[in-house]
Amino acid sequence: MNTTNNGLATNNMVSNMMRWQLSATAVAAILALLLSGMHAFFSVIAGGVSVIVGAYIASRILARNEGDVEPSSVLINLLKAEAVKIVVIAVLLFAVFKMYAALVPFALIAGLAAAAIFSGAALAKTDKSI
Amino acid sequence: MENLQLLAMIQAYTGVGIGLIIGLGALGACVGIGIMCASFLEGAARQPEMIPALQGKVFLLLGLIDASFIIGVGLAMMFAFANPLLSVVAQ
Repeated sequence: MNTTNNGLATNNMVSNMMRWQLSATAVAAILALLLSGMHAFFSVIAGGVSVIVGAYIASRILARNEGDVEPSSVLINLLKAEAVKIVVIAVLLFAVFKMYAALVPFALIAGLAAAAIFSGAALAKTDKSI
Repeated sequence: MENLQLLAMIQAYTGVGIGLIIGLGALGACVGIGIMCASFLEGAARQPEMIPALQGKVFLLLGLIDASFIIGVGLAMMFAFANPLLSVVAQ
């Protein structure tokens, strides 16, 4: 196998994904601020940032093994990154629920859902940034 | 006493609901990830030169498949730490 994996396509896709997630979280946060006030705004931000931080750490784990060309090792790296992402998100959500006394739970779920669902939107824009 | 029983029932059923949310969400995500990983391995075996291009797409789709599970975990945490159903007892 003489293919090389330079990771440029992956990096472009990951940065696109994070832009989409940030945009979705920002829109949801502004809507929450207008509809429910400051605590809802911070709750949406907390939910969105939990997903974005998890995705960023997962992308760093993925970038660490960019040279791999064996399908099995690429797959194991992907699954490892995904497992770390889920653990990071769960820990961050647990910390937010425990520490933020004035949390608006539905706003947090809205931010979380917006960031998580829009992570797939980057798939439609693989070649150009938003 | 009646309120206490109501509270216990709400907490018990909420516990069952949290288990179902996380369990069924994990089941669905695992089935989806399994199917996608099998397809990735099949595609990589047929065309090894496509692995770098497929890697990013697989990563994005993993996130999309896991999105429902992550939202489920968030909902489960909401029911565990800030259960809105308990407000019925408080009234």
